[in-house]
Amino acid sequence: MTDGPLIVQSDKTLLLEVGHERADACRREIAPFAELERAPEHVHTYRLTPLGLWNARAAGHDAEQVVSVLLEYSRYSVPHALLVDVAETMSRYGRLQLVSDPVHGLVLHALDRAVLEEVLRSRRTAGLVGERLDETDVVVHPSERGHLKQVLLKLGWPAEDLAGYVDGEAHAIALDNATWALRPYQQQAIDSFYFGGSGVVVLPCGAGKTLVGAGAMARSQTTTLILVTNTVSARQWRDELLKRTSLTEDEIGEYSGSRKEVRPVTIATYQVMTTKRKGVYTHLELLDARDWGLVIYDEVHLLPAPIFRMTADLQARRRLGLTATLVREDGREDEVFSLIGPKRFDAPWRDIEAQGYIAPAACVEVRLTLPERERMAYATAEPEDRYRLASCATGKNRIVEELVAKHEGDPTLIIGQYLDQLADLAEHLACDVITGATTVPERQRLFEEFRTGKITKLVVSKVANFSIDLPEASVAIQVSGSFGSRQEEAQRLGRILRPKADGRTAHFYTVVARDTVDQEFAAHRQRFLAEQGYAYTIIDAEDLVTD
Amino acid sequence: MPTYSEHLRSRSDAELVTLLERRPDLANPSPSTLVALAARATSRFSLERALAAVDASSLQVLEAVVALQDVRPAVTSQDVATAIGAPMPEAIAYGLEIALLWGDPTNLHPAPGLGELVGPYPAGLGPVAQTTGAESVLGQTFDAALAAAPIDPAALAAAVAHLLADAPPGAHEVLDALSWGPPVARIPAASSVGQRAAVDWLVTHGLLRAADSARVILPRQLGLALRGGRTHREPAAGEPRPVGTTLPQETVEDESARAAQDAVRLVAGLIREWERVPPPVLRSGGLGVRELRRLASQLEIDDIQAAFVVELAGAAGLIIDDGEDQPTFSPTLDVDEWLDAELPDRWATLATAWLTMTRTPWVVGGRDERGELRAALDPELSRPWAPRLRRAVLAVLDAREPGTVLDADDVAAVLRWRTPRSVPPLTAVAATLREAGVLGVLGANALSAAGRALLRPWPENGTIPAAPHAAGTGMESPVSAERFAAGKAAAAEAIAAVLPVAVSELMLQGDLTGIVPGRPTRELAGLLERMAKVESRGAGVTVRFTIESVRSALDGGQTADELLEELSSHALGEVPQPLEYLVRDAARRHGRLRVGSALGYIRAEDPTLLAGLVDDPSLADLGLVRLAPTVLAAHATPTALLAALRDRGLAPAGEGPDGQVVHARPMVRRVRAGARRRRGAGGVISSAPPTPSAVNGARPAAPSSPADAREWREHLAALVPVLRRAEAEARSDRAAHAHDSGSGGDRGAAGTVDPVAALATLRQAAADGREVWLEIVGPQGTPGRRRVRPLRVDAGRVRAVDTERDAELTVAVHRIAGVTLIDPGEPTT
Repeated sequence: MTDGPLIVQSDKTLLLEVGHERADACRREIAPFAELERAPEHVHTYRLTPLGLWNARAAGHDAEQVVSVLLEYSRYSVPHALLVDVAETMSRYGRLQLVSDPVHGLVLHALDRAVLEEVLRSRRTAGLVGERLDETDVVVHPSERGHLKQVLLKLGWPAEDLAGYVDGEAHAIALDNATWALRPYQQQAIDSFYFGGSGVVVLPCGAGKTLVGAGAMARSQTTTLILVTNTVSARQWRDELLKRTSLTEDEIGEYSGSRKEVRPVTIATYQVMTTKRKGVYTHLELLDARDWGLVIYDEVHLLPAPIFRMTADLQARRRLGLTATLVREDGREDEVFSLIGPKRFDAPWRDIEAQGYIAPAACVEVRLTLPERERMAYATAEPEDRYRLASCATGKNRIVEELVAKHEGDPTLIIGQYLDQLADLAEHLACDVITGATTVPERQRLFEEFRTGKITKLVVSKVANFSIDLPEASVAIQVSGSFGSRQEEAQRLGRILRPKADGRTAHFYTVVARDTVDQEFAAHRQRFLAEQGYAYTIIDAEDLVTD
Repeated sequence: MPTYSEHLRSRSDAELVTLLERRPDLANPSPSTLVALAARATSRFSLERALAAVDASSLQVLEAVVALQDVRPAVTSQDVATAIGAPMPEAIAYGLEIALLWGDPTNLHPAPGLGELVGPYPAGLGPVAQTTGAESVLGQTFDAALAAAPIDPAALAAAVAHLLADAPPGAHEVLDALSWGPPVARIPAASSVGQRAAVDWLVTHGLLRAADSARVILPRQLGLALRGGRTHREPAAGEPRPVGTTLPQETVEDESARAAQDAVRLVAGLIREWERVPPPVLRSGGLGVRELRRLASQLEIDDIQAAFVVELAGAAGLIIDDGEDQPTFSPTLDVDEWLDAELPDRWATLATAWLTMTRTPWVVGGRDERGELRAALDPELSRPWAPRLRRAVLAVLDAREPGTVLDADDVAAVLRWRTPRSVPPLTAVAATLREAGVLGVLGANALSAAGRALLRPWPENGTIPAAPHAAGTGMESPVSAERFAAGKAAAAEAIAAVLPVAVSELMLQGDLTGIVPGRPTRELAGLLERMAKVESRGAGVTVRFTIESVRSALDGGQTADELLEELSSHALGEVPQPLEYLVRDAARRHGRLRVGSALGYIRAEDPTLLAGLVDDPSLADLGLVRLAPTVLAAHATPTALLAALRDRGLAPAGEGPDGQVVHARPMVRRVRAGARRRRGAGGVISSAPPTPSAVNGARPAAPSSPADAREWREHLAALVPVLRRAEAEARSDRAAHAHDSGSGGDRGAAGTVDPVAALATLRQAAADGREVWLEIVGPQGTPGRRRVRPLRVDAGRVRAVDTERDAELTVAVHRIAGVTLIDPGEPTT
């Protein structure tokens, strides 16, 4: 037994004791190959997964390094089977390579003949590969590059894609950094991505993912297709690019439900890409509309399945994925790995917060005891109505008022799920409300006013979950959410995490009705934040009111 | 010519003691005389056990002696050396020592009955051909050569070669195919002309003999001649020494400790599940597949491992078939003691139970001959050889340097050499290694220190000089209870030395998890088990507190304050606020609904009506409790309530489930005809925990003092003179009796001879081809006397040739009243 900060469990989780003097060093060493699963106050949990280990291989780490790090920092002996497994798993990556052959074009090259035999015998690779050139090489149909990579990953022999990329149509893009500079981690992320060719950059909300995208474009100097979650987000990308780069309005096109512009830099929404008419994706041609040199995927963890299929055909182009988390609620992390690429950069939330790039936040759960009448209504309600009943408890209005009053003058967002509740609240607080029904110009006007401080209170529905940049918001009050989505909780917290000019602490309140499903769902969502290391405090609504 | 029993009698006391040590089944229970000893030593059972324990070189020697005895006037050690191709003095000495051979190096004999066990074709050689049987073209010359063969195989080989010069094509090939055995061939069909001709020619010339109408056989002398006088192609190489891999001892011990903790945890988990819901016993006595699967998912292990855990708990006496009308597998009283013990002791209990159990968990889930699934805990799954197999497998690893990893193939190869007559199936060897790994007897597949300590009580590693490689063959001496207990204690000590230090701290976190940075102490583990759900295990433990887990702790009778206090006593730092809220929330909601039992109730619209009833002493028997002003609960049935209230002059009415008044007719009792109580299930698993001697498969150990080795030897040394004295007495008794009844009288010597001695004489006679007088009791109880040449003594019957009537007869052993050897010189009547 040594006195290391790490406990390696047989189930491949790593427990890192944060208070330990060598914890920081250890964290830096294990970060490349272990996924941070949760980071509460005392002990952070990392997990070793095949994808994580392959990510590490892709980044140039080898099994020996991983094993020696584990042995060095582990407090107790490391399970033998785990070490064997790490070495075994890591050795599987890169035994097959996709290379570009001057004569035969795209070729699957094996460093290990037996592996090639194994995968070629699999029925899954049938039709993806062509003529066998010799014992170690087989021709790959260029159109099946992505598909083959997916299959190889499923077979447990992930291929290293060394076939390179088409240059794409050149287009001059420069960062306009007269008044600002990329943060060091952003620069690092861009470098790691570009060096690796394709892949995913993981940065927390508010850490400036858009800038990483802009930096990557400036580095690539090519036409770029940007895929984003929705129209509002598309406009924000556009505004940001206009502000931060040499691109002009004429160079940036929006390809969405309302506009179909194809320009050197085109921003398209997932929704328009996945629109089908008569069973056919009608906007697929966008992918071939230009000779794109770079494709950027915003919020990779939300990437819908059809986009994966389209991406399989885009393997010859550089791809950059941006996300706050690699955890997908649908478990398709492996497709992200094989189709967009391995993780190229990862900076944990807390690190960036510690560097002052994200505002510190305090999370508070306010528990409201329902009055007798509402409890009875709740108890006798149909199960499917209960959540709505509990979420929309009338007592919540009062608490929101209290909280707003407490943070009078601070830019405050009130976030909810149910429109009538939001309308009710807006009326109560005498402020504006933004929902899905609000027109885009109206939304932008309100956001702009909020940004400039003209209004300090805004009631928003879940349209505000993603990619809305409201840097000054410092208080968020959540009155209802979509059941237990952790994703949503993180995104909502992300709204208020932009660093404040005066370094204020952001406040994140969740108002829940005690002893109802509301509380259960809230607990589920908070777990995510607590795991991210945000200490949660619980206060009773009564205490708040009497304060 | 001396006999086997005479040979034994002529052995020195020291030699006899060695024999008894090497073959403990001969001394346990103590035989009465030396003849009885000889009889037991030549019984099929004892010979089999002895033969099962010999290694490959000894087996070669035994086969060579058996093969040569009929073609040589006297088998010498030189003959054996020539036949095998190497001098085998040690193997010969060992064969003599364990009395599978007798005589001396100039004249070796196999023990009577050994030939039959070695098989019909010792060393792949056919039966001895009598010279008179040959219809040889060469006639006299070849017969003479055959007659001379015992002396000179070279001459025979020359004769055969000479003969073969004229052989039709194919004859050579036939002889080549048969010479190294098996010596039997099917006669080719008449359609394959060439082959048939060759075989016919060989038969005609006396080189092959017809075994029956369809097969031919190569006589032993010819086989030997064709092999150049060899019985074996080459002498058996020494014991194989597979290379394996070597792990650092530290790794082995760490893995062993890890596995040991897991094994104990799994058994404890099994007990926890089954003490609440004991699973039913199948009619066949096992545990149903569904129950096994459920347990596997509860313990988060696979079915195979679950079967092992169940069997282990059964073998350790922690669960048994409770034998109730509806039998279930339930924890025994021993469970509490086991649960209270410290981890090393709990482990040692399991490990010794495993080492000595006769169960074969690895066959669970397979199908038996009738195609039925083999269930865990099925009594059919006991195999007496299982404990021997385990020790034999571990002994292979024990003989190597610490940290050596051998796979199942390697171990099986060594076992194949050590005991070629009883080779365990590879699956059993692999399963044994796997089980040992699960238990921590092996760590990372190498024998751990605790595993070695566990093996110590057994003679292979102990101070008792046992036969080479005797461990695992049933040849070892029994183990005394003290030794056994000492071994268990040593194993506990060894595992305690490698277990990480227990930690009593708990790090509680805001996300409602807690982490024990090490192995939790028993108290802490108990607390966490009660009020949290384990998320991850290993060197440390991660738990999560949920409303359900806290509720189950509250159900266990603890209050929120107690739980929080216990938590904070272990916590490093404060109990986080969300956790405190969770516990308090759970406590607040706990018990808001109350449940109780009542047989009936009384309700009334008017509270005053009920007010008097509760305190009425005449209604005290009804056990009335006021639940609400208008409701009383009662510990009496509605019928009794109605009666009692009516007696008191009230006018109650019965109420149905819907609240309507019912006018119940008086209840009358009926019983269904033919309802029969199920017969109590036969005890499936012995309810008594296994005792060391019982599980060892031996009678209570002869030596019971801790200074076992010496005492055991002393015991055996004391036994030998007793045997000699008894032998002498028995002989003088027999002499006196023979004198009284007159030798060879028609009345016979019914009942005068010790049956054991009689069998020994018969076996000896069969081996030597001598004749005996057999006193037989007929079906009507009339004694008779026959002069016979015994052929075979086996399975309670004697097959013999009645030389006077020239007929074969089979006599059941229990009908034999006496046996007298006939001096070869005595004339036939």
